[in-house]
Amino acid sequence: MSLAVPDGTGIDLPPVVASSAPGNSAPVRWGHRHLLDLDVVSWPEIELVMQTTDAMREVLARPIAKVPVLRGTGVTILFYEASTRTRVSFEVAAKNLSADVVNIAAATSSVTKGESLVDTIRTVEALGADMIVIRHGTSGAPYLAAEHFGGSILNGGDGWHAHPSQALLDLYTIRGNLPGGPDLHGRKVVILGDVLHSRVARSNIWSLTAAGADLWLCGPSTLLRGFERWAASLAEVPGHGRFTVTADLNAALRDADVVMALRLQRERMSGGLLPSLREYAARFGLTLDRLALARPDVLVMHPGPMNEGVEIAPEVAVDPRSVITDQVTNGVAVRMALLYLLAGAAGKAPEASGG
Amino acid sequence: MTGRQIMTADEIRRATIRISHEIVEKQAGTAGLALVGIQRRGVPLARRIAEAIAEHEGVTLPVGALDITFYRDDLSLVAQQPLVKGTDLPFDLNGATVVLVDDVLYTGRTIRAAMDALVDFGRPQAIRLAVLIDRGHRELPIRADHVGKNVPTSREEIVRVHLAETDGEDGVDIERLVGAVAEPVAG
Amino acid sequence: MAEAIGRSLVASADAEAGRPVGDLEISRAWLVDPASGREGPGDLVVEDGIVRNLVWLDGADAAGVDPTGVIVAPGFIDLHAHFREPGFEDAETVASGSAAAAHGGFTTVCLMPNTSPAIDEASVLARVRSAAERSGSPIEVLAYGAVSVGRGGETLAALGELADGGAIGFSDDGAPIRSAAILRSALVYAGMLRRPIVDHPEDPILTDGAEANEGLVATVLGLKGWPVAAEASAVARDLAILADALADEPRARLHLTHLSTAAALDLVRHAKAARLPVTCDVTPHHLALTDEWIAGARRWAWEALDGDGGALSPWADGVLTAAPYDPSLRVNPPLRSAPDAAAVLAALVDGTADAIATDHAPHTKVDKESEFGLAANGISGIETALGLVLAAVDAGRLPLGRAIAALTSGPASVLGASGWSGSRGLVEGATADLVVFDRSASWRVESTSLSSRGKNSPLLGRELAGRVLLTVAGGRIAYEAAD
Repeated sequence: MSLAVPDGTGIDLPPVVASSAPGNSAPVRWGHRHLLDLDVVSWPEIELVMQTTDAMREVLARPIAKVPVLRGTGVTILFYEASTRTRVSFEVAAKNLSADVVNIAAATSSVTKGESLVDTIRTVEALGADMIVIRHGTSGAPYLAAEHFGGSILNGGDGWHAHPSQALLDLYTIRGNLPGGPDLHGRKVVILGDVLHSRVARSNIWSLTAAGADLWLCGPSTLLRGFERWAASLAEVPGHGRFTVTADLNAALRDADVVMALRLQRERMSGGLLPSLREYAARFGLTLDRLALARPDVLVMHPGPMNEGVEIAPEVAVDPRSVITDQVTNGVAVRMALLYLLAGAAGKAPEASGG
Repeated sequence: MTGRQIMTADEIRRATIRISHEIVEKQAGTAGLALVGIQRRGVPLARRIAEAIAEHEGVTLPVGALDITFYRDDLSLVAQQPLVKGTDLPFDLNGATVVLVDDVLYTGRTIRAAMDALVDFGRPQAIRLAVLIDRGHRELPIRADHVGKNVPTSREEIVRVHLAETDGEDGVDIERLVGAVAEPVAG
Repeated sequence: MAEAIGRSLVASADAEAGRPVGDLEISRAWLVDPASGREGPGDLVVEDGIVRNLVWLDGADAAGVDPTGVIVAPGFIDLHAHFREPGFEDAETVASGSAAAAHGGFTTVCLMPNTSPAIDEASVLARVRSAAERSGSPIEVLAYGAVSVGRGGETLAALGELADGGAIGFSDDGAPIRSAAILRSALVYAGMLRRPIVDHPEDPILTDGAEANEGLVATVLGLKGWPVAAEASAVARDLAILADALADEPRARLHLTHLSTAAALDLVRHAKAARLPVTCDVTPHHLALTDEWIAGARRWAWEALDGDGGALSPWADGVLTAAPYDPSLRVNPPLRSAPDAAAVLAALVDGTADAIATDHAPHTKVDKESEFGLAANGISGIETALGLVLAAVDAGRLPLGRAIAALTSGPASVLGASGWSGSRGLVEGATADLVVFDRSASWRVESTSLSSRGKNSPLLGRELAGRVLLTVAGGRIAYEAAD
């Protein structure tokens, strides 16, 4: 159970007592009004998302890939950062659930005139939004939005902090492709690259340690700043566990079950953390040679968009072991599941019981 | 079963057989028929009806399963019963006469949702409804073509169908709830 | 427990704030007078705004009077506050800031020059002083002049003119003195004028884009780290330059403001042992709060220390009770780790830190109610300073006498070297300048209970012990509790 902030903003707080028992999960409810990060989501709730995603994939396989469950629900997609794939993924997901979708790309709206985030949220709410999917360049922005919004906030990525829907679709993709079944206990998962600036890495830390995976973070030492301290702290947090932080690429890749390469955040890099992209590619780029250190049936992943030739070699991106396109497909299904569960948790007024 | 039993295993069996005959009779044969069970207990019922028809007509009708979770009109139920059990319709609906099968017919909202779901998969020529129990209190203009047993109930009572495939035994019981209006049983 | 304070007004009352205190009789309270080094049960009688009688009680008279009830101390001195006038009056004015100071028990406040225009000319300084006079508040308002023109760091401001106009020192605060060459010249020139240079020690290149203290909380929350070295390296630079400047001008003096790290305080400790003329202050929020609060913890800094003096993890301890990313916690220098906060307290205990200064930084809601990384830096802290300091005293982390000294005699001696003619003590024959507070009474920090226009305090909604009952400045009442 997570604690809710008592003032009614619906912001849940860690810790969550999560069990990572493999296999069976008793029917469980989704208990969160918002999805801001995975630090407050229990393992049974994560499994519920996985199962709901299965059902959404079945919907996507239909000739008419649409269900009416969110009919009359206003979903506003508010992206302060340029992103085509995630924004469209959310829009498609919301439309597949028959929601009324408003898509705001902040660069073209009054936000550029200096309208504050709080003002924008209030305006969007007044215009009928029941749920807001928000992406923002500053860590923590979705929490501010949640404090001023009566509906549900779904974090589509904030600064370096969190990208919960990405971590969940990563988990779904791993579970769906892992040889030997979906149980991640003891399976070696490596996140490789610019960890320091990566919200994908941070959210994956919460979900993969909750899943019991043997998680490794690897990259140049300048891009691993602070994570060793977190690894030590997380070992003491109920429902999670330690992870390994290293700049030794060979040790990280050896016998890995999953390798996730992160985009080198060129646009976020400042202060000279790396000599050059060329040097990064030479020392840490995921090439076929390096991939050979992992298990032969290793899964290759990348949250996209890729800098081919930098963090990942083009041959690796199209290798049969790459499940990168699965990630994109699964992204729509996972987001449909999340919109569905969040809408249920927010709960419209019940009509007469069906039967 | 904790309540008062209103159907025994034998009575269920006989009702199922009668319904299977009625379905064929109404269609004047088996051509074009397909059975679609509504998750959860409508599915084993649909299979039993199909088996009975196969026995007395020698024809195996297609059987599908329909999950109406995403077609309900009440989002607050999502929080309580979010789990989805799956839809599987392994045949072409277009031009078919689909007989929806469910265990209990109550307000009619489940059937409305089921019809919405069905038409997303294709355009049946006709849709009919077979239920084991009709307990009254319709809120929508929906009626069953084939009924196992009509049971007058009050809104404070809950009707539970048990089937061997899902609950380990066959039987139907009815129980009065204290201080609550009967909610639909999960599935 | 002290008995009730008896008081009668003799002189005529003009306005509410600022009326002469007239006669005041305080019996059986706990008096603290760091200037004389004395502390204990006592009686105090004020007549016509002058301290007529100060009696230290002992024996049977002293029975039952202890430091848990009403305490009388000299009026507090704040070496570092921002009253935002001229230029940012939406956030605070000299008048509202003075009211806030009085509510906090402060009777002398030193204002930083980062107004608009900056106080880089005598005319601007005169504006601030006349605003203080017009406010009618008896609080003594002093001001620093800027070190550089417009605080731009390129050329020296009119230091002599500013000194003549009453500036008590020079600083470019909210910014560091970026140029080492300017710092060197300023130290020498100001030394000649017998004024200190006050530096806000920060390496702006290391802090470019930084949002929170570099550490576990910044890592987990995805905030850009503010390294300890940004403060420590700036302090080291300043001390080295001071050493050279002394050769040109032996009267050169450096005061380092709002030190927040063990590393920086260690450097000052060594410099003082080597007899360098350096002084420093620390803020109440750096001794009582940590970067954990940004993650949503609400425990005091000393409660977040493990057995070895290291920092506990708020996630491991399950102590998160508030939503994360509260922008009222964004401050420069940032809230640090628990060990750094412990070092701040240790520096107060051993005298490395000469004073507690609030760095009172009021902001409008517009500037503060935003995303954490985009929020303005600063805590509105002059009214909550005493409460935070007493929390440390209550927890046994800071002796009461040292705490009061850091608020009175410590800053007084820093100012005294600039030719400030005031004093800060409970002395017979002196004009009454004192604060009376009740350690057993608490008050709730709310936007309605704060006199400052700046409601940007992370303590909103919290009860603080040590309710100020009366503040007397220069023989006049500056603040009086409603009951």
